[in-house]
Amino acid sequence: MADDPDDLIARLVADLRPVAPLRQRDGMGLAVLALALGAVLVAGALGLRHDLMAGRPDPLVLTAAGLFLVLALASAWAAVDMARPAVGIRRDGWGWTALMAAVLPGAALAVMATDALAGQPAGPDRGGWACLVLGSGVGLLTAVALVFWLRRGAPGSPERAGWLTGVAAGAAGIFAVSLWCPHDSILHIGVWHAATVAVMGLLGRLVLPKLLRW
Amino acid sequence: MIADEATLARLAALAQRGDRQAYAAMLGACRSWLLRYYRRKVHPEAIEDLVQDTLLSVHRKLASYDPARPLIPWLAAIARYRFVDHLRIAYRAAADGVLDDDETIVEDAEQAVIARLSLDRLFEALPQAQCRAIELVRIEGLSISEAAESTGQSESLVKVNIHRGLKRLAALIERA
Repeated sequence: MADDPDDLIARLVADLRPVAPLRQRDGMGLAVLALALGAVLVAGALGLRHDLMAGRPDPLVLTAAGLFLVLALASAWAAVDMARPAVGIRRDGWGWTALMAAVLPGAALAVMATDALAGQPAGPDRGGWACLVLGSGVGLLTAVALVFWLRRGAPGSPERAGWLTGVAAGAAGIFAVSLWCPHDSILHIGVWHAATVAVMGLLGRLVLPKLLRW
Repeated sequence: MIADEATLARLAALAQRGDRQAYAAMLGACRSWLLRYYRRKVHPEAIEDLVQDTLLSVHRKLASYDPARPLIPWLAAIARYRFVDHLRIAYRAAADGVLDDDETIVEDAEQAVIARLSLDRLFEALPQAQCRAIELVRIEGLSISEAAESTGQSESLVKVNIHRGLKRLAALIERA
């Protein structure tokens, strides 16, 4: 049963306290901090790739890590902005970045198909599970930062916010793991590293909406 | 009378800084806007509850308003969220059927009826064939073939009508 409208407004006015508006740069600062912390943890605990240490990074690894970094930042940006709802605002820029990153699994599939056609079928290495698990674990730092931020705000679609948070977390985690991961084949990167983003995105979509409802 | 957008944005920015007079004026203007907004979407019995729920959300989430943006799109996003949440909770409660005591049963049943009335209000904007297809398959749980038999539509037409009807419903809900 509804209260008297004037009473409700009077109670809300009496309860008013100054609040600091959520700022995009603060949310992004938090997300970038979590991403950087993940990278430092991986580098500190497991060390950096030999080619990175030698100052001659492998071009494929460098390109892939760059794509995952941009995807992490673009989807984190969209997730952070969702804390400040507004009808009519489009936040689909991250989708183009995701499409760009999808070139990696696409290339891996193409390589597997051409190898199979040439009678030399090859699949991704089985040790890639380590990257998937480690990348997801490190990505949790970014996920926690984004969930904390989103819970302060009012995401209009918890499902979409959960999905974006998961993609950002997966991409941030696998970027950090790329600094250590000794593999440099497109099959490994296109399958296991890309799978980390997909799995975390899916988990975010399934698990996070409950935490993000308000 | 509803204040213009610039005035509302200024009132909201002042409210974020703790100005109670500005906040009272802002809430009053929000209430008028919300009454008009929900009048187009829900049964009259549900309007006041939804308006008050939305005002409480406005109060709790005041920090999520960006003073550099206009206020109405922010208010509309909160109103839309509360409306969708209202429908979701009411239908889940009715569907679960696991209720604790008599009072809850009465209250949830009432909510479900009001939600149903809200949907009926939305259904008025749909062509009869789309409305019937959605009702049979998505609400009553019939299969596509059973719905096709019941309505005399082909199975593919039932699917098309559900798809188009849901798209149109989503647009109606999201319209600010």
